[in-house]
Order: sequence, then C-alpha cells, then structure tokens
Amino acid sequence: MALTVAGCSPNDTEPQGGGPVTLETWISQDMETLFPGDAGSYDNISILDVVYDGLVRYDPETTEPYNYVAESIEAGDDNTVWTIKIKPDLTFQNGEPVDAEAFARSWNYTADGDNALYSNYFFGIVEGYDEMQPETDDEGNITTPGAVDELSGLRVIDDLTLEVTLSSPFAGFATMLGYTGFFPIAQECLDDVEACAKQPIGNGPFQVTDWQQSQELTAEKWADYPLDETPDYDAIHWTEYAAGETAGWADFQTGDLDLSFPPTAEVEAAANDPELAERYVERPGSALTFIGFSGYTEGPWNDIEFRKAISMAIDREGIISSLGSGQATPADSWVVPGGVPGGEAGTCEWCTYDPEAAQAALEEAGGWPKGEKLQISLGDDEAEVEYFTAIGNSIEEVLGIPYELNVDPDYFASRSAQGYDGMFRNNWFPDYPLNENYLSFYASGEPGAGHWGWYSKEFEDKLDEAAGARTLDEAVVLYQEAEAILAEEFPTIPFRWSFSATYYSERLDNVTLNPFSGAPILREIEITE
Amino acid sequence: MGRYVLRRLLQALGTLLLVMFVLHLLTTVAIQLNGSPAQAFFGDRVASPAQIASVEQRFNLDDPCFDQPGNPCLGPFVERLGQYAQGDLGTNLRGREISGIVAAAAPNTMRLFSVVLVTWLALGMLLGSAAARWRGSFGDHGIRLSSVLIDAFPVFVLLVVYRYVVAVPLNRWSEQTFGENSWPPYWFKPSFDSSHPWATIIVPGILLGLAGSAAFIRLVRASQLESYQGDHVRTARSKGLAERRVVLHHVVRNSSVPVVTAVGLAFVEGLGGAVITEGIMNIYGIGGVLWQAVRDDDVGLVIAVVTLLAAVTVVVMIVVDIAYALLDPRIRYE
Repeated sequence: MALTVAGCSPNDTEPQGGGPVTLETWISQDMETLFPGDAGSYDNISILDVVYDGLVRYDPETTEPYNYVAESIEAGDDNTVWTIKIKPDLTFQNGEPVDAEAFARSWNYTADGDNALYSNYFFGIVEGYDEMQPETDDEGNITTPGAVDELSGLRVIDDLTLEVTLSSPFAGFATMLGYTGFFPIAQECLDDVEACAKQPIGNGPFQVTDWQQSQELTAEKWADYPLDETPDYDAIHWTEYAAGETAGWADFQTGDLDLSFPPTAEVEAAANDPELAERYVERPGSALTFIGFSGYTEGPWNDIEFRKAISMAIDREGIISSLGSGQATPADSWVVPGGVPGGEAGTCEWCTYDPEAAQAALEEAGGWPKGEKLQISLGDDEAEVEYFTAIGNSIEEVLGIPYELNVDPDYFASRSAQGYDGMFRNNWFPDYPLNENYLSFYASGEPGAGHWGWYSKEFEDKLDEAAGARTLDEAVVLYQEAEAILAEEFPTIPFRWSFSATYYSERLDNVTLNPFSGAPILREIEITE
Repeated sequence: MGRYVLRRLLQALGTLLLVMFVLHLLTTVAIQLNGSPAQAFFGDRVASPAQIASVEQRFNLDDPCFDQPGNPCLGPFVERLGQYAQGDLGTNLRGREISGIVAAAAPNTMRLFSVVLVTWLALGMLLGSAAARWRGSFGDHGIRLSSVLIDAFPVFVLLVVYRYVVAVPLNRWSEQTFGENSWPPYWFKPSFDSSHPWATIIVPGILLGLAGSAAFIRLVRASQLESYQGDHVRTARSKGLAERRVVLHHVVRNSSVPVVTAVGLAFVEGLGGAVITEGIMNIYGIGGVLWQAVRDDDVGLVIAVVTLLAAVTVVVMIVVDIAYALLDPRIRYE
C-alpha cells in the first residue's frame, strides 16, 4: 500500500501514446466458459462472435444469413441432405486448418450427450443424434452412456466438403449455422477442452490473451486474420461486473468504459443530457416475454375466451411506459417484427388493451370462481416482479380477478415439472434469426405435454410442412401460417419485446446494435482517437 | 501457554467439522426441496431427461440422495472430507476449481479488511482517546455526536452516494489536477480495478471502516475513562510520572483488552459489510462469491468458503486470546 501512495506512477509499465487502441466494454461476472458448444449466455456469445467465425454470418440490418467461412451451402432435393463447401486456406489462430474435419469434430463433441454441453440440443435435427445420448432410468439417472461418439449424419467428403444428413427435412438449416454452437474447433482445443474453454483457439479476428475469470478478459487482434470483417482497433478489454449491465455506468462517466447504459434512476438524467444524447443508439430487441397457462391443470384458463379476457385486460403500453423507463416494446405477435425473416407486427388479434371486450370475453368464459385467487408465477427477479405486479393489478382492475404472485426461485425446474396452477411468466431469447425459432418450441408432440400442456396437430403438421419447403422463402411463409394457427388457438399471451440501447464514449464511432441479440456489433465499431 | 494453544487448536478442529456438517445438511436440504440446480442450466428450453441427467453427472449432482428429501447425504459429505484432507477443495457447480476462485477472491477481501482495520484503529484510538482525555469538553461532545451520526448512516447509503454522486466528479477533478498518469484518479475510481488493486480499494475500505468505527470510538472512550479513574493511574500520577507516560503506558495499554476483543468480533462480522461493499464497488471478493454461491445452491462452494472463513475466525479468536496475555500481565494461560 505504501508503494501505491508514495510510489511511482500507476502506468509506468505501459507505453504512453502510440500504445494499442483498446475498446473498453463489460460483461456480467457469471460467465463460466468460452467453449463454443457450451456458450449460451449473452456474454459468451458476444465474445465468441469476435473470436470465432461461423459458416454464415448475419446481415446487421436484415438478419439474413450470408456465407462467410462457407463457400456454399446447398440443400438436396428435400432439404434433408446438405452439402457445405468451405473456403480454402483458412486456419485457426494456432495454425491448424479450418476444414471440414474442424467442423465435424466440433459438432460431434457438442452433439455427444455424455459431454453435457449447452448447445447439445441444436444437433437433435442431425441424423444419428439419438444414439449419442445417454440412457436414463425412470428416476432420471444415467444407466448407459451414449453408445457412439460420432453423428452418423455427418460425413467429411474431402478437406473442404462436409455433408450433413438431417433426421427430417429442415429448410432453415443454413440459417442455424451462424450460431455459436456450430463454430469449428481446432484439434488442440479438443485435446484439452478445459484449457480451450478458458483460452479459446479461434478462427476469428481476435484472440483471447488473458482471462482473469470473474474480473476481466482481454482479446487482442489476430495479426494473420485472413478474412475482411475485422475492425481497425487493436484489442478489446471486458470488465466483469457482478451487479449486471448498469453497474458500470459510473465507470462510463469517468471514461473507463466505452459502452454502458445507466441504472433506472439515472435513465432520465442521461436522456436529458444533450451531449450524451448524441452518443446513444437503441433498437427493439428480439426476446419475447409472454404469459403461459397451466393447461395441464383444471381451471378457467383452459377456455380460450378466458385467455382472451386476460390478454385484453393487460394495459401493455401503460405498464411498459411507467416501469423500467420504457425500456421495452409492447408485443402483439409471437415472432419479433422486423427482427427476423417472417416476423410481422399485429399477428395477435387480442393483444390490445380493451377493458370492455375483456369483460365480455370473461363473461362468455363463465367468469372467475368466487373467492379464488389467480396465481401468477415467475422467477426471482426484481424487475420482473414489478412488471408482473403491474400485470396482476391491470387484470384485477379490469376483470375483478384477485391475484397472488408466486415468486419461485426454482422457476425453471417448477415449470419443466408442470408444477404451476394458473398463469406464469415465460421468456424466449431466440437462437438464430428465423421465425421458426419462435414457434418450434410449442411443438409438444402430444396433448398435455410441454410447458403449457398445449398441443395442436394442425400446428405441428404446418411446422413439418414448412421444414420440407423447397426454399427458405417458402418456408418462412409456411411458418407464418403456423404462427397464425398459434394466434387462433391462443395458448400463450405475448407481453413485451426486449429493448436494447447503449451509450458510447466520445472516441467511438459507427456503433450499431445487433438486431438479433441487441449487443453492440464489436466488429463494426470504429475508435477515433 | 503451548498446551493452551494446542487445546484451542483441537477445539477449533471440532468446531470446523461441526460447521461443515451443519452447512452440508442445510445446503443438501435446499437442493432436495428446490430441485436440482441442473435445470437452471437449460434456462427456457425443454430439456430431455437424458440431458438433465448428463448435466447432473457433469456437476456432481447425480447422487440419488439429492432426490430424497430428508436423506442426510452422508456419502458425498464423507467424500468431500476426504478431498479436503488431501488439500483438494473440489470444484463449484460449473466445474471451476474452488481453490482458484478463493485464490482470486481472497486477496481482494484481505486488502479490503486491512484498510478497514487500519481505519478502525486509527479513528477509534485517536478519537476515542481524545474524547476520554478531555472528557466533557466541546471536543468530547463533538466526537460523541459524530459517532451517533455515523451509526445513523447505513454503510450501503454511504457507498452508493460515494459511487454515484461523489466519485465521478472527484475522479475527473483529480485527473485534471494531477494528470491522467498519477495516483489520485485511481483512488477515486468508481469501481475496483484488478490491475490496481490497492489504489482502487483504499476509499471503499475507508468508507466501510468509517461505518464500523462509531462503536469503536465509544468503546475506546468508555474503557479509557474507566482506566483514568483506576488506582494504578492515580499511583502513577502521584509518583510524578509525566502525563504522556501515564496515558500511553497505564491508560491506553490497560484499556486495550476490550478493544482487542472488539477487533476480533468486528473482523468476523465485517463479512456482512464486505458483501455490500464488494457488490457496490465491483470488488471480486469472498463476500460476493459466498453470496452468489448461496443463491445458486452451490453446495461445494458454500461449504468450502464457509469452512475457510470459520478457520480464519477460529485463528483470529486464538490470536485475540493470546494478545490478552501480552496486554494484561494478570492474564496467564496454563
């Protein structure tokens, strides 16, 4: 400490001026891995986006996929067999080639259920997936590990050609290929997965040089990067915050962070600061918060008129503008409008606040049982509790239905176990930009199954039809028809879309947000110093 | 003295085992009642039983006893004791080495505590002694009033106000005054910076120390007042000793026993303040790690960290007891 107080200057070891130009940004402290197949959070996905390159990348405006590491991606006649050609002469940061084998080893490892990786489920559409999953007994204990270690549907034709056979047709397969879970990995990475999860060997424009887990992470530009989507600055430094995204606001104000968003109490002040207002970008996000019902228990919610009544009794605009400083958009569709191909606003007919229509619908449904309370369940999150209190109040005010909030710290487990009785919060953050991704999780396979106990044969047939469409454009239209069936049967109620916004420092330019994840697109940012 | 210390160490070992076992029971019941934390891994997705099972296996939650409420899960407990005996703290729920977590977090908490301790001692001894020395004076009243004011100001308010209202302008001002490449701007960083751990922890440490110093000031004052009225002080004065020597050797030293006890206790209670300070100032420390571990039902991590803290507590208590003997010749351990 004496050194600190009396000693030399804090930065003598770092060169002054002319040093590396570093982008200063933040992540949350709970990031645990940087292994592509295991990354599932906003943070590791946005870091891996600059450390790895996928077969496709997504247009920042339209979110349409375009080939990047892939030279071409061709579907066979019925969208079951896909041939992927990879650009020649690409390497990993350790010099290993990025070839068909690099993708095959990554996908096989992630698809192997014995490894229990986050992105495992993405490979469920590839032939041979089931044989790779462990078997469990009735109590959910593993009895035998997965029998094989390689997907039978994956074939390396030659160095640069990979053939993928799906277990059933899927027109949107190429769209999935830009997701983190489909990135290639080097053999050196597979040899020591634990080390690679801390210090990835990527094929993208930046390489991770130092990660003091839970404190900070640094990535420096890879000098030999062969492709063209790379920014001009030299390094990115992420500070990890325990208290979430607004915790760094004070550091942003002192110039220690280049990107940040203020805590709720200071949103107003920031918006009114004319100088700050010039350094601000925002756009609607693609994560949907919606309300589901326990269709697996007896209750008025099994009547569609009741669900309509609830939906029309919720004053989405009013609640959103009074809470969270308006950092959300009222939702009236199940697929994000404009954010992904096939997403349109207004597909939900009963998502507008209409107290009279709501009361009429409740009457048609036979009213609410006297003396009972409607249970509204959700996870343990302060902001969401505020939102759902407001929703409960709105319902009580319009329909006279008393409610009680059930704040459940084990929300995910309870919901999976069909453990609720009444209505509950749901949230969907899409994995890849296609309207299908907002719909396919409703396919429960049989009546009474799934999170909501909802099943529609018509809906699932439509999904199958779309998956087999000849082109992606046709598929998108068929998926829209599936959304229309959802809108007709109304098992869930859209509530709000996420909202992404950030302020940036004076030295940044060209700050844009990913329409899909809402994260600043690091590869596009320019630093003017 | 040697036998006394040995006896205390053996007692400490027993205490530690008991603490570990109680914690083990509590966290096990938490998992049994709340359901396996493995489900959280899948978030909004519907996971197949096979997927859940393999995640449970990966994170060592696959012992069937975790599914049987009321089962004390002795198997995993004994296994853990065996690991600890070999110096292996195991991994947390996400497979990260606990020894690595502690190695990263503990030094920051130690830094924080040492600044806090220095602040306590400096403020408590200086202000408390002054108030006792000039009892009833204007200064005495002033010091007592400020100690009440400090008490009335909760530590998190102090920290939040500092971070969001004071730190930013102070940091800018010092940057303009002393230059970017000087220490003062680092002292007033709103967040902890792991590349400058001491410089950025001083102010949060002082604030946390300040918040805890009020009780200290009053304690020092009270115990010195008692000493001033003691027979030995009257004797010393009547012998014609210089007032300075009377104060330092007969008053301050004799009134130190309760102060040392309080330091020991406050050190243990300081963890609560550390959780708050670490959270607000973004310091990666033991308090924050433990807080998060409890929230995540992370059995292994909770037990490892609390065991370490219990060990530290026991050692601090023994040191305090030994310090008694050094300070007060009347106390002897046989």
